[in-house]
Amino acid sequence: MLFYSYFKTLVGKEVTVELKNDLAITGVLHSVDQYLNIKLTSTRVVDEAKYPHMMSVRNCFIRGSVVRYVHLPPGSVDVEILHDATRREAKGG
Amino acid sequence: MAEPEPMEEATVREPLDLIRLSLDERIYVKLRGEREIRGRLHAYDQHLNMILGDVEETMTTVEIDDETYEEIIKTQKRTIPFLFVRGDGVILISPPLRS
Amino acid sequence: MAAPLPLGGGAPPPQPGPLGPPQLDYPPPGTALVEELDKKLLIQLRDGRKIIGVLRSFDQFANLVLEEAVERIIVGARYSDVPLGMYLLRGENLVLMGQLDPNHEAPPGMEAVSEAAIREALRAEREEARIKGTMRGRFDFLELE
Repeated sequence: MLFYSYFKTLVGKEVTVELKNDLAITGVLHSVDQYLNIKLTSTRVVDEAKYPHMMSVRNCFIRGSVVRYVHLPPGSVDVEILHDATRREAKGG
Repeated sequence: MAEPEPMEEATVREPLDLIRLSLDERIYVKLRGEREIRGRLHAYDQHLNMILGDVEETMTTVEIDDETYEEIIKTQKRTIPFLFVRGDGVILISPPLRS
Repeated sequence: MAAPLPLGGGAPPPQPGPLGPPQLDYPPPGTALVEELDKKLLIQLRDGRKIIGVLRSFDQFANLVLEEAVERIIVGARYSDVPLGMYLLRGENLVLMGQLDPNHEAPPGMEAVSEAAIREALRAEREEARIKGTMRGRFDFLELE
């Protein structure tokens, strides 16, 4: 549940989600669930000319399993908290 | 009261122990799709989902030249301040070299 | 008769909280798409196809039931919405889905054409790619001489 809890702290912040099919979508994180499915609002596609169908949508639900990366806003990463949470999780927390 | 932890901290009993000892260290990660990343490990879980900092990603692509039809191998590099990496794309993780 | 609700409907909105010990305030599994019910959605599949339809039901795997589904085929600056009917999509094949902007359902700046016209354009595009491929194949063959 570590990353689920972490992503919940990013709700309202702007992130870029990069998918396994190379599509990259920037938007405001609206919600996340325990499968790390992600909902974004105010979306824009980084390479819109290549994905014209995405111009008709302004929000989206992304299935967690198709995510490759999420680029995180530097101001919302507290590495000390992450280290502690990771150590707790590794002990079987 | 917490008992002093026995020797377990520095031992490697199972694969994930190797990553546990790499927390806050720079690691190398090979991913599917000819991608490699180097970065400082800030968080991970049992699926090998990770958050890395000061990331350098190297992507290797093979393009075909339109004129000569020769294969051109290109590597692209980029840097990303903080990156969440989904564990199902991970092929291998290598900890920093220790002297 | 009330409309059938998906499992676990009516979950409280997820609350952002500090990172800490495991939290138990997460919503029941599979409630993520409640807000999309009865909306017209564009769904991108793993093979690149785009399906548009009204979401009538879903589950925790993101299996979907779509009513009045169409496939949106885009070739260059032309597109066509090909009617499919009622569809059940297996969640595994779903990449993403977004609500269609009701005022801009058509892709901006694109010309709507018939299904026959778009299929012909698609065929021409594939043929071009195939010729490129064979040209390269011939060149490899010549190199062996």
